[in-house]
Amino acid sequence: MRWGIEHKETWLHQTNPTAKLLLFLPMFVVIVFVHNPNVLINWTIGFIALFMLFSGYRMKHVLLFFVPFLFIFISTSSSMILFGKGETTWFRWGLIHITEESFYRGVHLGFRTLLFAIFGLMFALTTKPVLLFYSLMQQAKLKPKYAYSFLAAIRLLPIMLEEFQTVHQALKVRRAAKANGFRGKLELVKRYAIPLLSQSIRRAQRIAVAMEAKAFTNERPRTFYYEVTLGKYDVYLLVVICTIVALGYYVADMFPYVAIKDVR
Amino acid sequence: MIHIEQLRLKFPGAEKRLFTDVSLSIKKGEKVLLLGPSGCGKSTLLQVMAGIIPRSIDVPMKAKALHIPKQVGYVFQDPDAQFCMPYVDEEMAFVLENLGVPRAEMKEKIERVLQRVRLRLPHVHVPIQTLSGGMKQRLAIASVLALDPDVLFLDEPTALLDEEGTKAVWETLKEVADDRTVVIVEHKIDHILDFVERIILFNEHGEIIADGSTNEIFSTYRSFITEQGIWHPDVWKAYEKPKTAQQPYEEGDVLLHVQSLRGFRQKEEKIAVDELTIYAGEWIAITGENGAGKSTLLQSFMKLIRTEGDMYWRGELVKNDGVLYDNIAFVFQNPEFQFVTNRVDDELAYCLRLEKRSEYEIEEEVERLLRRFHLSAQRHLHPYQLSMGQKRRLSVAASVTERHRILLLDEPTFGQDAKNTFALLEWLEAYRQQGKTIVMVTHDEHIVSEFATRRWGIENGKLVADEIIAPRMLVRGGMR
Repeated sequence: MRWGIEHKETWLHQTNPTAKLLLFLPMFVVIVFVHNPNVLINWTIGFIALFMLFSGYRMKHVLLFFVPFLFIFISTSSSMILFGKGETTWFRWGLIHITEESFYRGVHLGFRTLLFAIFGLMFALTTKPVLLFYSLMQQAKLKPKYAYSFLAAIRLLPIMLEEFQTVHQALKVRRAAKANGFRGKLELVKRYAIPLLSQSIRRAQRIAVAMEAKAFTNERPRTFYYEVTLGKYDVYLLVVICTIVALGYYVADMFPYVAIKDVR
Repeated sequence: MIHIEQLRLKFPGAEKRLFTDVSLSIKKGEKVLLLGPSGCGKSTLLQVMAGIIPRSIDVPMKAKALHIPKQVGYVFQDPDAQFCMPYVDEEMAFVLENLGVPRAEMKEKIERVLQRVRLRLPHVHVPIQTLSGGMKQRLAIASVLALDPDVLFLDEPTALLDEEGTKAVWETLKEVADDRTVVIVEHKIDHILDFVERIILFNEHGEIIADGSTNEIFSTYRSFITEQGIWHPDVWKAYEKPKTAQQPYEEGDVLLHVQSLRGFRQKEEKIAVDELTIYAGEWIAITGENGAGKSTLLQSFMKLIRTEGDMYWRGELVKNDGVLYDNIAFVFQNPEFQFVTNRVDDELAYCLRLEKRSEYEIEEEVERLLRRFHLSAQRHLHPYQLSMGQKRRLSVAASVTERHRILLLDEPTFGQDAKNTFALLEWLEAYRQQGKTIVMVTHDEHIVSEFATRRWGIENGKLVADEIIAPRMLVRGGMR
């Protein structure tokens, strides 16, 4: 989705959102069933390159986006590395038991999460929500009722954020923005959530009424302001993904980084 | 055009019927104003006439005859709750898509309608969020015009707008109305008396008590209209303010003094004042255009945003924000955001309990506040169940305690009817008489000229005027 961060429109932005979704989603499944760390490492390199070259965002922003995912990489892989089971012990100290097997398994898990992050980010950063839903309506025959409900909800988010700040200030002034103990904290969550939710529910209901008042019914066939079609860029994306996947396997086979071919 | 006979309507769960046998008809091309006290059911009637009830909002109703127009346009009150798309052109296109307008014709249609409502934008692909309230309402009018309606229904379209936005919206509406039928519900009627030709007057029981030409109704029922708290051009003329207003209370102490205070929002400097001193017993009105930095100044006084500069409370440098919270109370524009408990009386007791007063003392103080703010009958309710006026009163009553010396208010009379506004102003004046200080952001020139003792003008984040309106009390020792 759009984050209000300046960027260039590249061919990745021009791809059809539904096509992009259909190309990315199977990758999530495929990645889970790959057990050769060499393949995953190659894919990570390939898709990071694609992302950096063609997302249209500046390098410093791209690197910033990856900071939280790097953290997840380290945390998921380290817990597996430190406490996993294995036969070839490298290091043992109390609970910590590092084995060769657990090390590679951990690294493998880390790359898996990193790949998930890349696909998620790549989709989010190169797709406008409005076009995604227009495309889903036109290519995937999503009912307009649902598409526009989602779009209206997206509009509510920044308003909610603003309101959260106001509620925070208001509670601070009344010295009600802090609480001790479990019950106090629970009370605090309610204090923030109730005004925010009640405002949003009311607003959502009003928007729904306003939409129907603007003749939003199922009686007439709709036309579309944005015509979203399939194009050559979708073919490019398909080719690029297939190439990276195939090359990843090939290179992993010919020039493996580690000797292990299956981490299970 | 519209004909309703013996309409009966009751909201599920309500004790009484809202309408019992209400009949009315409106001819083609008429410009009609529905007038009456809050809660009398004008908006509901408008929604029945527009077909929103029962099509979109399901309310049980019955009528002997009900003829309503097919092509209607409805402009709602809340500028933030009538759009579903993020950009101006996309929102306009949403309406055209609903009508099945071919894609090729959309661009041109959008531009034409935007021009009609005089929404001049650099280009049509502008985020709706960046528009002012008045511009949003004109966009709402534009999207309604795209429907090419026979009847325009306007449900307090300017209730949440400032004076400037209100004026612009009515000017636009007068221009685009042409020979269309227009039915309006509105509480601020200064700008529309020359536009509407017929007024239908309701009482608080949802009954029509008068129906006639604007002049006729206005001259016969003036006192009734005033009693109902409706804003009309002569409200302030007829109002008798408290005798103490704008009279100094006593020699005022220096309370808050700030030096080169600057307030920031996301790194950006939004307000900067060199030096300001607030004395005890003052009523300071902060005026200026939307976005000039008025609210930001209030927030800076409380350090609710990032600030730089020195603040002195009664001559002592403020090092701990707690000093500010202890002595200054803040009333926000939307009262709901300030409520922290589930009951009106608990709400009033909240601050007192924080001060660790005895339960007996708290009980007594709460009783006193309930009476003072006319909330005794509502003490068991959840704050959200109160009416607009009651919520505002509760938010003031709950924020202020004995120890507070300054009361900051961000447009407290915004969206309130005349009756509630005067009640609030009178309470604030009585509060000032106890030696407390009022600092309020307002757009209402009448409040400035009738109640304020001093005015600060804010422009582009700078203090451009600091004028004494009422003779200032003698100040001991001058500046700090």
